[in-house]
Amino acid sequence: MKRILCVLACLMACVSIQVQALEAPAKLFYAADYASVLSDETETFVVEHSAALAESTGAQIVVATVEDLEGRDVMDYGLDLLRTWKVGSEKNNGVVILVSTGDRKIGINVGYGLEGALNDAKVGRLIDTCAVPSLKENDYDTGIFQLYNAVLAEVYNEYGMDVPENVKSLDDYKDKEKNDAEPFIILGVLGVLVVLSIFNRRNGPPPPNGPGGHYRRRGFYGGYFGGPPYGGSGGFGGGGFGGFGGGGGSGGGGGASRGF
Amino acid sequence: MGMKKGLIVTICIVAVLVLIVGACVGSYNGLVGEREKIDGLLANIDTQLQRRNDLIPNLVNTVKGYTNHESEVLANVSDARAKLAGANTTAEKSAADNELSGALSRLLMVVENYPQLKADTQFTALTDELAGTENRIAVARKDYNDAAQQYNAMIKRFPKVIFANLFGFEKAEYFQAAEGAEQAPNVNFD
Repeated sequence: MKRILCVLACLMACVSIQVQALEAPAKLFYAADYASVLSDETETFVVEHSAALAESTGAQIVVATVEDLEGRDVMDYGLDLLRTWKVGSEKNNGVVILVSTGDRKIGINVGYGLEGALNDAKVGRLIDTCAVPSLKENDYDTGIFQLYNAVLAEVYNEYGMDVPENVKSLDDYKDKEKNDAEPFIILGVLGVLVVLSIFNRRNGPPPPNGPGGHYRRRGFYGGYFGGPPYGGSGGFGGGGFGGFGGGGGSGGGGGASRGF
Repeated sequence: MGMKKGLIVTICIVAVLVLIVGACVGSYNGLVGEREKIDGLLANIDTQLQRRNDLIPNLVNTVKGYTNHESEVLANVSDARAKLAGANTTAEKSAADNELSGALSRLLMVVENYPQLKADTQFTALTDELAGTENRIAVARKDYNDAAQQYNAMIKRFPKVIFANLFGFEKAEYFQAAEGAEQAPNVNFD
């Protein structure tokens, strides 16, 4: 039993040291880009929108990027950030989006107060739809920007507030996917029809891999690579973003994670 | 003169008694508070274990819809689930929890062979909920063990050790994780 206690104590000491090494900078509390993968526009967008969200609802969304999780689980690491940085108000409505470039892992930790709006299944879907396609292409900036938008929209909806105009939601990204896919589906259907008519006329066997299937697949999985649609990213006045209320940061490991 | 001296002695004795009683009450209440705290944290683990138990039938049914030859893996999950539901003590629960975690990670490994199942949105949602719950169990377990460690140290220290023995405050059992079971089963949809 004593040995177990020792091990536990050592683990705890390690954890506290590691997280202390990651103090949040006061000025950019909401965007802790330690892996330097975010563009200035995205950083400003995150800082401004998170500050506005915190002012109106008390909820706080923090984006953190690191190069290395030091062998730890991405959700475990994110929870430590949520707790030590005390993300969220006393309603425990904090969210930490953590990306590790070295481990190629992304995880979203949700505080107790937002577990209803951002349940695990929904968080998984948000990551899959908004972030993973871009992250796979090493486009961290686009993936994180889109994911941040979708999470922000969900939180605004949870509090029954209007989503700011320049913030996209999951549906926007889903629609975009569909719109991208549509021409290819039509092409695919046309292709199948052409192949069928040829087949009917000649009465021969169909080609094993018709153009229909091919185009369809590209339509669905091709993704889109355009830059994120920034909006309203004005000049960033120094200071003033350090004010994050304590008392939050209580979460129990809710959320979801993905490798990419 | 004698009267006055006697009065002072009495006052001193009463003061010391009050101090001792005060210390007793304080220590006792401190122990009760600490005990309540770890009971609450233990209940948190139970909540999450229950949540996982509620999710499993849905998951098993979804997997059954796509697979034909994995009845053994599924039976293992169901057995472990039943065992956990019947566990009473913390030691029994942690043992059953470890068995269930193992059975579930084997199930998720088998699923790798069924791309259609992996693409099922219902299945994705369920595995997300399951992974999230495993994660919550791990967090609840760590929170509980930390508090239990603090409590166990407290009841061994003087002077609380006297009251702990007097009022029967027992050592809290740790909720142990099997080697490698600390990590939630990794759900990867590449």
